[in-house]
Amino acid sequence: MKPAPFDHVRASTLDHAVETLVAEDGDAKVLAGGQSLVPLLAMRLAQPTTLVDLGGLRELDYIRDDGTHLEIGAMTRSRAVEKSRLVGEALPLLPAALRHVGHVTIRNRGTLGGSVAHADPAAEAPSVLRALDAEIIATGPGGRRTIAAADFFQGFLVSALEPEEILTAIRIPKQAAGSVVAVEEFTRRHGDFALVAVLGAARLDPAGEIAEVRLSVAGAANTPLRADAAEDLLVGQAPTPDVVAAAATAVAEATDPGGDIHAPAEYRRHLAAVLTRRCLHRLFTHAERSAAA
Amino acid sequence: MTQQEVPPGLIGARVRRKEDPRLLTGRAQFVDDVVLPGMLEAAVLRSPHPHARILSIDVSAALELPGVFAVLTGEDVRAACATPQPVVWRMIPDQRMTDQYALAVDKVRYVGQAVAVVAAVDRYVAEDALGLVEVEYEVLQPVVTLDDALAEGAPLLYEEWPDNVSCRQTIPKGDAAAAFAEADVVVTETLSYGRQMGTPLETRGAVMSWDPFTDQLEGWMSTQSPNLTRDLLGEVLGLPVDHIRVRTPHVGGGFGNKFDFYGEEVLAALLSKRTGRPVKVIEDRLESFVANAHSREQRIEVSVAAKSDGTIIGMRGTVWAVLGGQLATVGIGPCWLSMALMAGPYDIPNVEATVVGVVTNRSPYGSYRGWGQPKANFAHERIIDKLAHELGMPPNEVRRRNLIASDKFPYPSQVFFYDSGNYAECLDMAEQAVADRGWAKRRDAAAEEGRSLGIGYSFHIEISALGPSKIMNQAGLQHSSFDEEVVRIDSAGGVTVRTGLSAMGQGIETALAQVAAQTLGVPLDTVKVLHGDTETNPFTGYGTGASRGAALGGGALLRASTRLRDKVLRIAAHILEASAEDLEITDGVVTVKGTPGGPSVTMRQIGDAAYRRLDGKLPDGEDPTLEERDVLDPDNVAFSYGTTAVLAEVDRETGRVELLDYLLAHDCGTVINPMIVDGQIHGGATQGIGGALFEEIVYSPEGQPLTTTFMDYLIPTASEIPTFETLHMATTADHIPGGFKGMGEAGTIGAASAITAAIENAVPDLDLRLNRLPVTPPRLLDALTTATPKDPS
Amino acid sequence: MSTPTRTGTTVSMTVNGEQVDRHVDPRRTLSDFLRRDCGATGVHLGCEHGVCGACTVLLDGRTARSCCTLAVQAEGADITTVEGMADGAELHPLQEAFWKHHGLQCGFCTPGILLTVQELLADNPDPSDAEIREGISGNICRCTGYQFIVDAVREAAAVLREEKTAEVE
Repeated sequence: MKPAPFDHVRASTLDHAVETLVAEDGDAKVLAGGQSLVPLLAMRLAQPTTLVDLGGLRELDYIRDDGTHLEIGAMTRSRAVEKSRLVGEALPLLPAALRHVGHVTIRNRGTLGGSVAHADPAAEAPSVLRALDAEIIATGPGGRRTIAAADFFQGFLVSALEPEEILTAIRIPKQAAGSVVAVEEFTRRHGDFALVAVLGAARLDPAGEIAEVRLSVAGAANTPLRADAAEDLLVGQAPTPDVVAAAATAVAEATDPGGDIHAPAEYRRHLAAVLTRRCLHRLFTHAERSAAA
Repeated sequence: MTQQEVPPGLIGARVRRKEDPRLLTGRAQFVDDVVLPGMLEAAVLRSPHPHARILSIDVSAALELPGVFAVLTGEDVRAACATPQPVVWRMIPDQRMTDQYALAVDKVRYVGQAVAVVAAVDRYVAEDALGLVEVEYEVLQPVVTLDDALAEGAPLLYEEWPDNVSCRQTIPKGDAAAAFAEADVVVTETLSYGRQMGTPLETRGAVMSWDPFTDQLEGWMSTQSPNLTRDLLGEVLGLPVDHIRVRTPHVGGGFGNKFDFYGEEVLAALLSKRTGRPVKVIEDRLESFVANAHSREQRIEVSVAAKSDGTIIGMRGTVWAVLGGQLATVGIGPCWLSMALMAGPYDIPNVEATVVGVVTNRSPYGSYRGWGQPKANFAHERIIDKLAHELGMPPNEVRRRNLIASDKFPYPSQVFFYDSGNYAECLDMAEQAVADRGWAKRRDAAAEEGRSLGIGYSFHIEISALGPSKIMNQAGLQHSSFDEEVVRIDSAGGVTVRTGLSAMGQGIETALAQVAAQTLGVPLDTVKVLHGDTETNPFTGYGTGASRGAALGGGALLRASTRLRDKVLRIAAHILEASAEDLEITDGVVTVKGTPGGPSVTMRQIGDAAYRRLDGKLPDGEDPTLEERDVLDPDNVAFSYGTTAVLAEVDRETGRVELLDYLLAHDCGTVINPMIVDGQIHGGATQGIGGALFEEIVYSPEGQPLTTTFMDYLIPTASEIPTFETLHMATTADHIPGGFKGMGEAGTIGAASAITAAIENAVPDLDLRLNRLPVTPPRLLDALTTATPKDPS
Repeated sequence: MSTPTRTGTTVSMTVNGEQVDRHVDPRRTLSDFLRRDCGATGVHLGCEHGVCGACTVLLDGRTARSCCTLAVQAEGADITTVEGMADGAELHPLQEAFWKHHGLQCGFCTPGILLTVQELLADNPDPSDAEIREGISGNICRCTGYQFIVDAVREAAAVLREEKTAEVE
């Protein structure tokens, strides 16, 4: 389990990184934290000619508040995002989800940009981006462009990034004041990839009806799913068990899971319904408690 | 028989382990830490096909890669070896053997079978070279499952055989047919135990150095069985054993996987011979899942015949062993033991059990902690539970009615003589502990909240202290199973124990030091235990497995130390001008009993008298030096036993099982170090939990292994494992000096049985019968969904 | 070693307080670099794919899987391995607690667990048992069943808290 040979280019600037990608003409890979890529190299499942190492690009390690959004540099470590007070206040769903990513040791090295660019449908960060309508900023030879999360994730480990583009930042609209969040994740062992995870954020209006709800599902299709149909069923309703059950059914219907050695597709679909119900139950209990307080 | 009495002291004390400081500081040497001048590193090319004929192998491109020193193929290995890879357990005389070499010749029979091996300047280059070896295969239809292998017209793994059955044996006791004819009730179950493996965290490895001028072979190996390995290397390579030195550094976990003798050691030796340089081969984790012996997988058909009061009068069973594409070192051994111990702790007069060994295109089946016993346990405990259900009795009532009574020992089972035990007391102890801890109240209170908690029990026996060599030879073992220990007091009074056992985490250094220190009456920190070198250490038959190290090593050492102590006392008596019978040794000082502050002789003075300044101190007729050796080849094995109790919660919506509490009441005779015993039980139980709920080696229908990473083969982490509690009783093994029994495998044996029982107990409204391991969430959800609701009446 | 690399790179880092400058093949993992090039054989390789945690080291004070890190990625870093834990011949309180509570058997996972726990206790000096279990859940131990590790961590946490209080006073 040793990587095949490759060249290593430590990017001195973002332009340098992009230039190298262009020069290598599709045979290079971008190295961020390495938590997904290095094992793939060791197994020789990835054999790039060149690694473009973004490790030295301090300018991609930041969390910025522009009033309506937080912008997080791609090389910001997951653990830093999780611990950021700014993120905790403006985007409570993000740290709640990141706490489920592997283990602290993985999050110390893994970057938010790396996780999103890897586009694993079972990973947490992509699902947060879907739930919160985030934008992904990519930089390539033609300059910067912005991609909506809804358009970014295109398939299993497939994103809208072009081979010569680098994911440089993620821009996420702040969650509305009074939002509560919940993450229901089912793993075989602590820290494993989710068989299914349901991520939710919600807000009740003063009358106790659902003013806003955002739901996304990891591990239930070849991309992270946004549960639009379920959200439509919920908004404007009182959070009764019947409404929750209907939403759970809608989520399960929206899934298109694959089966593997850990669980058949039908089981994952079933989990999506169970976890949606549990996630919504927690959200609404929490929201009602906050309202009462 | 004499009752074993060990006075209180270091034997039985919770002392810290001697091996720990170097392990805690990173200073312990494991095999991959061995680096020799000029050393090359090897990598193995493995078959991507489950079943194929090798048409050609072209190694020329690999040999041209800079940094590559040698490439071997199956033909090279066959030409260089005196014999195929040996199989040491041959219980069934007419078994069809598979006779394979370290590299495949002609045909491959499982994904991962070694096909070629490269030695290069380092592992990186060796792996580069693997990609340059060209192998042309003719792919054959694979035989992936037991049913595939047994099907009419199935492809044959070995074309010279009539079918895919390697062996079959039935061992009867009494008259099972008559028992079944006269039974009030007969229950039958078919069980499936998943394929699993030991997975030590340190993978296997070897560094081999062949001196071409003298044909001396020096090896460093991560092995549990250094003496067996040396003998087998000698057989395979055609070398006298005095030309072979096996050194065993710290072993990073063995669990049976490192008991077996693998082809990679042979390959490293042959590469070293070819290149004239030392060669290291370290298996990586991906390889480990195909190149290490697999274990556990069996289908077991079991039935019992009982009276309406729950007395079992007969048992029948068949173990279908899902062997791999070739036999591993232990052959049919583990599966044969499942058959031989199928009646477990129960006094069943009529038993008829059969084992059938079937080859498939899977990795070979070998040793894993517990050997055949977890499966035998699953058979007898599941069928007890089912019988209890059928009769409407609590399962522990059925157990109690059938457990072998304490006055029936030594008890003749189907095959073995169980030496001693007080089984009912052990079951009582566990039940009482469960009652004291209020598990039933917790279960019932949880039920009020709509949660599903259940309590499950199992009773296990464990064969240990293996064993009487001649009887083992008669049973088919091509090796001995005694243990030899040497103890020496040096010229300054320090004690050195030499053992042939391997240190693989089980604390053997500490346990042996405790035995020697207590017997000799010296402080623990004056005792050093040397292991891991066949050139300087004594011979242990078999190896460090079968829960034999502490019992046989401890027993042999106790006898040797006792004789050495006698010599010390004779010398002291001479110096003190007293009678040896009046002396005692405490903390390394010999004094006359009952005279505190009186004349004394230190161990240092004794050493001086025996090695340096003898005149006037060493009695006439005594030889200089202070050394004793002893060989313990016991009259019988020794059976430990225990009761496992589990409190589990079932999430009925997802099929997830959480273990809330876990306790084990246990008896392994005289305990040397309770802390080590508890640690062994915890670790074994954790592997048992893994096997019950998490771990399974899965193959695709095409014969491709799908679990070759730690992301897919799910070893439980701390978050999945409950807190353990252990309770102890001590029924000594009267035929072993010290009364020790082994217990290294205890925790693995009864775990799955107790956990499945607890799951069933958690859903009293359903007629749930679990018969397949591991019980994964999807499987349990499916079983919960399809189980028949119980009649509320 | 004369590996056929496409490019070589010089890396500089501090390993257990010692400055190390070496020419490395870019594909060399940090774990191989530490074990082979720096002699830090307490870094153990259990899986080489980032699951078992045996190769855990401290990189700039935070835990990292050295098998999932290339040596070139550690340019300029400050690395601590298990060899750097003890103070001279004095065991670290964590090592002492693991010894006392039998928190290790074969010891292969132990270096990674010790360093992981060191970070855990720095972040959370008084963890509950569940938090300890969660904290070490990225480290596979195949021997102990974890319970004595939990006991050791609980006691070490208390010792370290006392030491800290004593320092403040």
